[in-house]
Amino acid sequence: MSEAPVLQLDGVDIGFAADAPLLVDVNLEVHPGEIIGILGRSGIGKTTLLRTIAGAVPPLRGEIESGAPLGYIPQRLGLVRHQSVGYNVLMGGLAEAPFWRAALSLPDAELRSATRDAVARVGLSEKMLEPISRLSGGQQRRVAIARSIVQQPALLLADECLGELDNETALEIIDLLRGVAKDAGIAIIIIDHNPMRCATFCDRVYNVVANKLTEAAT
Amino acid sequence: MKAVRLLTLLRKRPGYAVGALLLALTVLISDHLDFNAASLMAGWENFVIIWGEAMPPDFDKVLFERASWSHPRCESSWDWVCSPAVNGLLQTIEIAFLATFFGMILALPLSMAAARNLSPEWLSDLSRAILAGLRVLPSLVWALIFVIIVGVGPLAGVLAMTLYTIGYLGKLQYEAFEGVDPHPLEAARAMGLSRWRVARFFALPEAANALLSQMLFMFEYNVRHGSVIGLVGAGGIGWYMSYYLDPFKLYDRVTALLIIMYVAVLIIDRISLRLRARFIETEHAQKASWMGVFLPWNRN
Repeated sequence: MSEAPVLQLDGVDIGFAADAPLLVDVNLEVHPGEIIGILGRSGIGKTTLLRTIAGAVPPLRGEIESGAPLGYIPQRLGLVRHQSVGYNVLMGGLAEAPFWRAALSLPDAELRSATRDAVARVGLSEKMLEPISRLSGGQQRRVAIARSIVQQPALLLADECLGELDNETALEIIDLLRGVAKDAGIAIIIIDHNPMRCATFCDRVYNVVANKLTEAAT
Repeated sequence: MKAVRLLTLLRKRPGYAVGALLLALTVLISDHLDFNAASLMAGWENFVIIWGEAMPPDFDKVLFERASWSHPRCESSWDWVCSPAVNGLLQTIEIAFLATFFGMILALPLSMAAARNLSPEWLSDLSRAILAGLRVLPSLVWALIFVIIVGVGPLAGVLAMTLYTIGYLGKLQYEAFEGVDPHPLEAARAMGLSRWRVARFFALPEAANALLSQMLFMFEYNVRHGSVIGLVGAGGIGWYMSYYLDPFKLYDRVTALLIIMYVAVLIIDRISLRLRARFIETEHAQKASWMGVFLPWNRN
């Protein structure tokens, strides 16, 4: 990889208490367009790792270097279920909208266009005004991905976004993520529970075992 | 030995102990308040006299006779429009409408600030203290205060009911905000949104159905209480009731107004119930929502 990394972790300890870290000495380098898979049993600290990278949990030790804008798809997606697909996707650009536009609920033409493009990218143009509550699990994941595309992140953190999906739908979401990674050069870190599946679509796969993040042979 | 047996019984069946305690309290308090058969009998005699004067209700006078003493002055040329029943009821509903509208708008920012999941602790505590302060006085006492400040009439009623609505609705609203799904809020914070954007664009639409249902309930509540505040001069149908009661003691007309008010409240109650049912969610069916009504960001 010749391009500068979008994320670099050097000797980072992760957790909530220094005397009982969930992960120790994490070293990871992620480059644009790469898909990194993280495997491990439930409750071992995978989500905390992502939240630490996202800045929601401070590292116990070590350095995290990431100047890149981050996108985050939480395990439960975090969509506003009473609102439409368009509304939820548009929210991805809300942080960048000027105060007065947000206060008056007047998104500019650029943001509206980015929203339409992102919704089209995930194949939900016809569902633009459909409330989230009427969508299937797979479609809801597509909306969460579209919302991240509008954020224009350099690094996308996806927490178990393939969980509870049937194989066919999971493959569709994987294709979508691969397309986003390769076309837009967005690096993706994804947590999954299926080693075989992870090995097929990720560039690198890591296992969390005994408080360590170790690269798996693929 | 009897005392020991009684204690053992109470320990085995604590329900008996609670029942005995409640009974003892009831007897003590009744005695303290002179709530006894003699007082009730004295009241019964008065009730029989008033019942005789109140029946039959005089609907003709309250429904079809112009109230030349109405306040503010009724300008319609139709006598029935300016009658105590129609004009008073209309005024009560108008007071309730304005109080609910202003109360809702003013309560929203306060309740967002009061919700623990949306605001820092100091702001939440401060907002809760303000809302609690507004709830300390019932709307009737607020009405008395505003009648002194702005004079007799519906303006005092609107101000009194608005303040009470802010306090009451604000509490319901912040509880609704605190009950929303936390995941969208977490996602919004991860996207780098400021507190007010999280509250406005994530918490508000998540709680919208509950808020709308509460607003309808508050309107219905305000109509019912609108008749009470009129008794102290704050407008509405209650003002006409107090006019008939003091000094004229026209109980037959007051009874007619009470029956009309009761029917009106029943009708509003039914309509409100129907409308609120549209906003109450069931697990499998998401019914009407705020989408596209107050949030133009939907129409992108």
